[in-house]
Amino acid sequence: MKVEESIDVGGRIKQESALKSFVRENLSTLSIAGVFILICLFFGFMTDTFLSFSNSSNIIIQIAPNIIVAVMMTFVITTGGIDLSVGSILALASALAATLLSIGAGSFVTLISVIAAGLLVGLVNGYVVAYHGIPPLIVTLASMIYVRGLALMITGGYSIAIMGEDWIVSLGQDRILGVPIPVFLSVFIVTLGIVFLRYTRYGNYVTGIGANEESVRRSGVSTKKVKLITYMLSGGSAALAGLIIAARLGSGSSNIGNMFELDIIAAVVLGGTALFGGAGTIIGSVIGVALIGVIQNGLTLMHVSPYIIQIVEGFVLLLAVIINIRVFGKKS
Amino acid sequence: MPETYQIEMKNIQKSFGNIKSLRGVDLKLRPGEVLGLVGDNGAGKSTLMKTLSGVINPDEGEFHFEGKRVNIDSPKAAKNLNIETVFQDLSLCDTLDVASNMFLGREPIRFLGRLIDKKTLHTRAREELDKLGINISSTKLQVQNMSGGQRQAIAIARAMLFKPKVLVMDEPTAALGVKEVNMVLQLIKTVKEQGVSVVLITHRLQDLFEVCDRLMVLYEGKCIDDRPIDDFTLETLIKSIMGSPEGVKVS
Repeated sequence: MKVEESIDVGGRIKQESALKSFVRENLSTLSIAGVFILICLFFGFMTDTFLSFSNSSNIIIQIAPNIIVAVMMTFVITTGGIDLSVGSILALASALAATLLSIGAGSFVTLISVIAAGLLVGLVNGYVVAYHGIPPLIVTLASMIYVRGLALMITGGYSIAIMGEDWIVSLGQDRILGVPIPVFLSVFIVTLGIVFLRYTRYGNYVTGIGANEESVRRSGVSTKKVKLITYMLSGGSAALAGLIIAARLGSGSSNIGNMFELDIIAAVVLGGTALFGGAGTIIGSVIGVALIGVIQNGLTLMHVSPYIIQIVEGFVLLLAVIINIRVFGKKS
Repeated sequence: MPETYQIEMKNIQKSFGNIKSLRGVDLKLRPGEVLGLVGDNGAGKSTLMKTLSGVINPDEGEFHFEGKRVNIDSPKAAKNLNIETVFQDLSLCDTLDVASNMFLGREPIRFLGRLIDKKTLHTRAREELDKLGINISSTKLQVQNMSGGQRQAIAIARAMLFKPKVLVMDEPTAALGVKEVNMVLQLIKTVKEQGVSVVLITHRLQDLFEVCDRLMVLYEGKCIDDRPIDDFTLETLIKSIMGSPEGVKVS
């Protein structure tokens, strides 16, 4: 095993193996991956169907849109921010998509308009957070309310069926080489997320802003622009997810995505992204989303009451936050 | 013909609300000179240096760089003039590694200008650390687990990375152990040997006599004393800092 001398200046020498420092830096993610495997095994033993191919692929299709949003939420939380508006954007996107398709706007116009709407809400969030210094919790809480209002206004509270043969519907329902398109999309976004967070300047600044924003600013980086872009992409990702869900369900509704934002935030924190920023992990967020999806699915298969499922979820989140604060709290 | 200074700051004024932090300060810095900037708490030392590094903008005043009038209105503008700053509050990002901290804002890139060239990043960081004689085992370590001295050394290495002409150091030895202070002072000498002009702010007066060529004393937002280091003793320096310099007419 490679042994590194990690402290030398000032005469003190501390030795630490490369493996040990990897474990220390990824403690949250590694432990949640372990929990995930244990829980899968548990449901595998408790039910006949949990580990079956059809159930597994069912879970994967269901969590695909959540993963897309969780990737961008990871960036937002890594900057030290939060985005509560994603659930409402999801509803807005779904309502807007169904409405546009029902009036015959066509797939292309629908796709562009829906994504643009998400980016626009994100732009407003990011502008107010970055350029006016208002806490993101408050800003995105306001967006959460008015965006849901917009969605309700568009649909009048009804759900709107998506009919016809528009190709956009295939986004939620078709498969390529046997793999559902939403899964393709989420794998694509996850890959982009990993590359951008770890291997680009933008990702470095996102992490840096969460750790010490003033330091990044003094290095000559426009931290405001970095934050603005991050919230915009978060809004855009939620719109894409809303579009996929509407396409899969074959209808648009202003009532979907209630508490969706909390599921996503829970998953991201569960995965090992620091709650107050400075350290993010895309893989961790994917595992976090999968864990929540598996708990919901497994308990349902065990015929546990949905009310109890919600209680379990709440406690899982509570546990995750305690672990998160303990792991990241030690560092500062 | 008048002397060409590396930096000349003229009549710098800055107020924060009702408080006049800087009341028209002039500062001249020759090429390759180490200038000690001293004064009591709140005398305006840090504020003055923050205007030079573009972190805050003065209400009034002019900057001249190598004889030419320039605008320094952002950290980027200062960096473009090769003015680098090591700030008092250790400004490193805890969760980034050593090399990423050193290159923050100026990462080498490849592949359509999108991806960070990690190999170049770590090689060049290592070269710079070696050149300055800084001993850190791996540039891939996160800085959060490092000692104050190591962090300060990294901050100085970061400033030196882009061949600055002027290096501003605001309290580089505050909160360091004895051994670490000596390491940082040695580092300042190394920097000076490379022909860089340095402005050093410190409360450790004995350090000034080790590395500085000239001292400038600020008192309540004005410069009240500006002489070569040999004209000072620790005693006369303290009198100046208290606001009554010996043998200098207060303007």
